[in-house]
Amino acid sequence: MAYAYLFKYIIIGDTGVGKSCLLLQFTDKRFQPVHDLTIGVEFGARMITIDGKQIKLQIWDTAGQEAFRSITRSYYRGAAGALLVYDITRRETFNHLTTWLEDARQHSNSNMVIMLIGNKSDLESRREVKKEEGEAFAREHGLVFMETSAKTAANVEEAFINTAKEIYEKIQEGVFDINNEANGIKIGPQHSTAGGAKAGGAGAGGAAGGGCC
Amino acid sequence: MPQSDSEDFESADEGHSNATRKERKKRNSSSNYSDNLDSDFEQRRPQPKESNSTEKVATTDGWDDFDVDESETAKETHLKFGDDKPIMSSSQDTGWNDFGDWGESDTVKSEEIKQNTTLELSNNAQIQNPSVTTKETEKQIKSDGWGWGWGVDSLLSTATAGISTITSQVSQGITTVLETGIGAPNPEELARITKEKAKITENEVSEDKQEMTDSTFQFGSLLSGVTKFVENTGTKVISGGLDTLEVIGKKTMEVLQDGDPGLVKKRAMLGLETEKPILSQILREAKDRADEEDKVKEAKREAKEVHYESLFDDFEGLVHLEALEMLSRQVSMRIEERLRSSDPEKRLDIKETLQQVAELCEMPEDDEDDDYEESGDLSKEDVFHEHLQRATRDIGLKLQFQPLIKQYTEILTWLESNDLNEKAIYKRAVSGLAHATALCVELYHKTGEMLLVKPRRSTADEADALTQLTLVLTKHVSELASIFTEELSKKQAEDKDLVNNYITNVFLEAGNSSKYIQNAFQLALPIIQIGAV
Repeated sequence: MAYAYLFKYIIIGDTGVGKSCLLLQFTDKRFQPVHDLTIGVEFGARMITIDGKQIKLQIWDTAGQEAFRSITRSYYRGAAGALLVYDITRRETFNHLTTWLEDARQHSNSNMVIMLIGNKSDLESRREVKKEEGEAFAREHGLVFMETSAKTAANVEEAFINTAKEIYEKIQEGVFDINNEANGIKIGPQHSTAGGAKAGGAGAGGAAGGGCC
Repeated sequence: MPQSDSEDFESADEGHSNATRKERKKRNSSSNYSDNLDSDFEQRRPQPKESNSTEKVATTDGWDDFDVDESETAKETHLKFGDDKPIMSSSQDTGWNDFGDWGESDTVKSEEIKQNTTLELSNNAQIQNPSVTTKETEKQIKSDGWGWGWGVDSLLSTATAGISTITSQVSQGITTVLETGIGAPNPEELARITKEKAKITENEVSEDKQEMTDSTFQFGSLLSGVTKFVENTGTKVISGGLDTLEVIGKKTMEVLQDGDPGLVKKRAMLGLETEKPILSQILREAKDRADEEDKVKEAKREAKEVHYESLFDDFEGLVHLEALEMLSRQVSMRIEERLRSSDPEKRLDIKETLQQVAELCEMPEDDEDDDYEESGDLSKEDVFHEHLQRATRDIGLKLQFQPLIKQYTEILTWLESNDLNEKAIYKRAVSGLAHATALCVELYHKTGEMLLVKPRRSTADEADALTQLTLVLTKHVSELASIFTEELSKKQAEDKDLVNNYITNVFLEAGNSSKYIQNAFQLALPIIQIGAV
């Protein structure tokens, strides 16, 4: 599938917060209540359209288990966006955010767009972390914030696409050097500089289906 | 308007060095009018007969500022608007939105026009000024007030500023209409806008008046008279000017539209619509272009369908390879670090160990084609599975071979179905090889990750297992290649060359696959090594 840009994302956060479920919901539009523990890193990909341009999101879904920490760290490099996920029904996953954030900042490029996600928003009755707390954390650390539910798909699409939009804006502003692949952005194989003009109106073409294999 | 101008204006009031200011002024002012005033001032300057100190006051506070004010009037107008953002934007908004009917037709043009208008704006402002200011000057001379010259002067400048603002806005309106020249402007609308703007400007004037009155409180009564006068004159100019402009506008449009409703001809003459598009033609061209693009796309899709690298990417081979590379690099760095931090003796030891592991991982000469044939009644995929398990028996990890087996089964089943043409077989061969290779790379990547979190490492076993695994996997891809090529050569094709070409390509891609697999194995080497040191 031809794309104008490829953005590399990483999903990070404690084990069991629903990272893989978010990915599955985004790429395959389905929810799997029981999920194998992720080993190291798993991948997902999906096409989206921003500003009439086809963008391939290549998502690196990392293992949340402590044992894999040193391995997953080596995958941060070259990510353009990160989804930092916690579980609103488990406070400790929220408490660990600072550590995750430090890790991410230390091992990735400074321009990486980080989206903070409070997942499992469907489990309102078991909520332990208030939405305001998530918002405050995000504000304090300069992150974008959203509460999602991988189960009901609420905000899942938005979380991934808004991150992409922010990256895209950074490209437009010249913050990201798209020729430096360490920034997590690759130019598509058929991307020509004049190509953008023709795409007008193609914006509605919308998200091509998921499932890359 | 750049900042420097406002500074200029401020410092002029304070009355610093005359000469430099003059210089600057000359540089800044572009209108002949202010130059005239300059020279006017030059002539008058020797005249005052007062004492030195008075003269100084006069020079710095009165005439000089008069001069400054005149030349800066137009600029001041801009400045005010610049400073007063809400007013600026609101008044501009109404202006442009109301004329939007014409402006929207061509954004680029309206952009240009905007620039034109601003240019003309300042010109008009200055042309319009003399009549008003002359009156004021007379008044001032009559009162002969050296002392309060500054106050009046500021008022004057404010007044002129106000008036010139109005004038420029009115002329802006007119210019816009004339420049765009599309459709007749609605005079009532124009009047309404201008009145609105006038109101805004009046507010501004009175605000400024307030300010001035405060600072020159001694002359309050005198000043208020002057202010009244200015206000009245201002209003007169506004209403009078409006009527005139309205008439001018109407007349102009009448003349322009005489025998040319909608200004069609004149617009054509002006070259505003040089290329009048014909809808049907555009549509036809668009369709042709779309067809063309479709053809190109189809060709590209075809090419991609049998393009090994992009297939490999689609099957996630590339991203697993990339991840494996990152992992390998990080582990290598850790080994390096360990080497650097240890004392020389230990370092030698470590180096030796590393070397030994590397030797363990060297691929044996490809000579043992033994046990592939002997397992008689087992199906091909079972044999493959058997080999994989036997190779990795001692690695101490539970590896996932299912995807590879499943893919193999699918290929075998597909090939059993009848009526396959050469091209279909060829396509399937390339994609099958790319898929199998991607799965192999994934297997190395996963194995690498699991080895790194394995609690107890057994380097020799791991090295052996991965070496054996690599052998099985490379054999697997060449097996795949031969299955496909056999199928291809079975076909009694009309185009022998084409089929031969296909066969060559399949073997080439199989070689490619082997390289990927061996490369992945090499990337896994540091991961095995680090377990030993």
